Amino acid sequence: MSTPTPKPVTSGATIPLDVGHAPTAGAPIRQSNLWKDAWYRYRRNRAALFAGAVFIGMVAFCLIYPVISPHDPYDVNFADARQGPSLEHPLGTDTFGRDVLTRTALGGRISIGIGFAATFIILVIGVTYGSISGFIGGHLDNGMMRFLDALYGLPYLPFAIITLAIIGDAGFWAMAVALSIATWFTTARIVRGQIITLKENDYVRAAKTLGARWQRVLMRHLIPNTLGILIIAVFLELPGVILGEAFLSFIGLGIGPPDASWGSMAQEGYEVYRVFPLLIIVPSVAIATLILCANFIADGLRDALDPRTRET
Amino acid sequence: MSTDGALLRVRNLVKHFPIKRGLLVERTVDFVRAVDDVSFSLHRGETLGLVGESGSGKSTTGYCVLQVIRPTSGSIVFDGEELTELSGESLRRMRRRMQLVFQDPHSSLNPRLTVGDIVGEPLAIHKVGSRNERRARVRELLDTVGFDPSFTNRYPHEFSGGQRQRIGIARALALSPDLLVLDEPVSALDVSIQAQILNLLKDLQREFGLTYLFIAHDLAVVRTMSDRIAVMNNGKIVEEGLAEEVYGNPRQLYTRELLAAVPIPDPRAMKERKRERQRLQAALAQQ
Amino acid sequence: MAETILTVRDLSTHFFTREGVVHAVDGVSFEVEKGKTLGIVGESGCGKTVTALSIMGLIPKPPAKIVEGEILFRGRDIANLSERELEDVRGEQIAMIFQDPMTSLNPTLTIETQIVETIRRHSELSKEAARKRALELLEEVHIPNAAKRLEDYPHRLSGGMRQRVMIAIAISCEPELLIADEPTTALDVTVQAQVLDLLDELRETHGTAMILITHDMGVVAEASDDVVVMYAGQVVEQAAVTEIFDNPEHPYTEALLGALPQLEGEGVRQRRLTAIPGRPPDLVDPPQTCRFAPRCKYAGGDSCTSRMPELREIRPGHFVRSEHPASERARTGEAIHA
Repeated sequence: MSTPTPKPVTSGATIPLDVGHAPTAGAPIRQSNLWKDAWYRYRRNRAALFAGAVFIGMVAFCLIYPVISPHDPYDVNFADARQGPSLEHPLGTDTFGRDVLTRTALGGRISIGIGFAATFIILVIGVTYGSISGFIGGHLDNGMMRFLDALYGLPYLPFAIITLAIIGDAGFWAMAVALSIATWFTTARIVRGQIITLKENDYVRAAKTLGARWQRVLMRHLIPNTLGILIIAVFLELPGVILGEAFLSFIGLGIGPPDASWGSMAQEGYEVYRVFPLLIIVPSVAIATLILCANFIADGLRDALDPRTRET
Repeated sequence: MSTDGALLRVRNLVKHFPIKRGLLVERTVDFVRAVDDVSFSLHRGETLGLVGESGSGKSTTGYCVLQVIRPTSGSIVFDGEELTELSGESLRRMRRRMQLVFQDPHSSLNPRLTVGDIVGEPLAIHKVGSRNERRARVRELLDTVGFDPSFTNRYPHEFSGGQRQRIGIARALALSPDLLVLDEPVSALDVSIQAQILNLLKDLQREFGLTYLFIAHDLAVVRTMSDRIAVMNNGKIVEEGLAEEVYGNPRQLYTRELLAAVPIPDPRAMKERKRERQRLQAALAQQ
Repeated sequence: MAETILTVRDLSTHFFTREGVVHAVDGVSFEVEKGKTLGIVGESGCGKTVTALSIMGLIPKPPAKIVEGEILFRGRDIANLSERELEDVRGEQIAMIFQDPMTSLNPTLTIETQIVETIRRHSELSKEAARKRALELLEEVHIPNAAKRLEDYPHRLSGGMRQRVMIAIAISCEPELLIADEPTTALDVTVQAQVLDLLDELRETHGTAMILITHDMGVVAEASDDVVVMYAGQVVEQAAVTEIFDNPEHPYTEALLGALPQLEGEGVRQRRLTAIPGRPPDLVDPPQTCRFAPRCKYAGGDSCTSRMPELREIRPGHFVRSEHPASERARTGEAIHA
């Protein structure tokens, strides 16, 4: 620390220094955790709370049940085919005699898994594109956003199909890529908007004044503060990609037999729905429930993480 | 380059902001002359108060001095170096010697970083010392501004406006700068807290020989902090001089109007000041 | 001569939150006389705005609630009126202007629409007559080019202009009481002076009573006849404006005056300001002892920390809530308890 001799600034009268540096600022005025506050606000939204519980319940079920189920989901047994709900098979059996409940859980793993994987890819692309555009601004931002506008015109599902065709097989990650490639635009836009707003904050200017390079400003000051928006974006994108996967599998372009996804189960159920509607109802209800829950959760999160309420 | 002993010499500073119009392609149609040919000097250890109303260009001037905003034209010489010619690494190195204290305690600290991270960031950026040394320095800085160092792991939202300003000041002092530009540092604070922070700033200036460019709209606050004062209006310096002179013997009509408008805590002076304001308004209308 | 328009008696407004009950306003009493200005001064969190909102019935009904007290406007208690009844009172009998002129006006409506809307809500005037009245009002608040301004949208006007429009709307129905909550805080100092001068002029012309809420002691000195000093939800001192500045009694008032930076005087640059250490107390379930004691230079002994000081009349018309008011300190030559 430099210690130049303090120069008396005015007429030369010596000025007594404040004695000591005893803390005069006092203790923190509130001891709260921002996340706890957000959780409290989230809890107050009954629908969101219920939806969250159902969502977690479904995910847990899909993960755990295939392990503990007494039935082998791949075990073909025509003798037991197309049975209604019973104690042994709570949701009945399908055309191949396989336990529907177990296959639903298994299918859920795939469907939800692809949903999250695709959403993850959407986030990565969206955050990268949006933060570069928003951070640099100016003509580059203009250009990138105009380009994005053009991309909006791309039809989502046909593009997913084309992508799958290019990739070749329809495995887990292939599906995730195909489903994310034509739908990351909204996330990019949201992130860009957030970055532009955040840039106005004094702490960003402070970082620059301190001599921080742009990498530090972006990675340490801007992107971490988009976390709230990103969590919400996850639950906004999820319904779209889950439905997309279901559609692709339904028309036979996605997950195929003997693997199960809710979409492929719906396809199997479609073939016999006139005589045995249960097989198409089960996966449809599962998809619908999950999507509905995701929407309510996104709603609840938006209220909980609203920056306006966060400020005091 | 001769600097006549001044730490900071600003000459003919100009900053224009383009006004853009257009649908598909934006075209610049006009300029906002935020800073319009401003010149002043600042000597080591003194405080220059830059006072004016909103839109006068005082904050923009401060940001230009620090090169946070790049001036349109003009010269800014800091300790012999022409700042407008610096960029990249050399500018970053210069930044260690001049820092900024912000107005809004709620947006000047990153809500995701702890107090310790925030105050230590300048040290981390310029790679000063080892991690332990930095931690010790952060504690020392917090103590210097009257903030209990045991709270380095807390987050900004847990503290009041005045406490957050102290954190901001500690951050600004981390690299032992020579010059501090203070942009409305107490405007967002209550009167009693304001007094605490102003006293702190006075103490710090004496203890560390700091030079202040103090920007504010509150004339009384500026008066109590400054040795010399420059009054800005519409991007220009309207009047400049020793604080006692400018306030005691204002020469310009605008300065007199400003001073007559300040509400002072003396109920008996009210009628006289109102008359003075009316006189000045009439005079200004004739100009 | 002195006709009391508003009497607030033992007003207590509490906010019921999950952290506890916030005593935003606790036992506040004052009177406002016709044609005079009462200045309510205090720092943020002292309860001055909540007091004003309580009078207007604008507090958010949960979580806030007027738990006690009376608000007598022309003898009629308006503290517990229904929303509809309050709507009749507001605008016509009591009007309020707020701090931020940027957000107080609807950006999607023209100035004319907003003024006329208020006029027609409270009177039987036709649209033509209301428009004429709007023009008169704008001229009364000294807005140049009033006719043209009527057609403008708020964003075309400067802050000072917008505040004048707010004032025009507020006085459009000739209210008997005008409450101004920090009306000049967001404005430049020259504009502030003009707005305060305007309010004073209107007060004289219409005989409107006014409550002026501010944190600025200078504004209080310039614009009020009587002053109420609030701290931590309570009234701590109350007197005529010259009394308060000549003879401040409460240690908080003294400290507040001492913390003000001076415009001129000897040694202004070198002098340290009187800083009040610490911060205002948390108003959640506050203890029933002197709320200023933790920060008070003179606090000490049992009296300050064992009971709540009463608001007592230390001189005719001068009330103070303290165990150690200045005049008693001078008399007994009390030492400062560190």
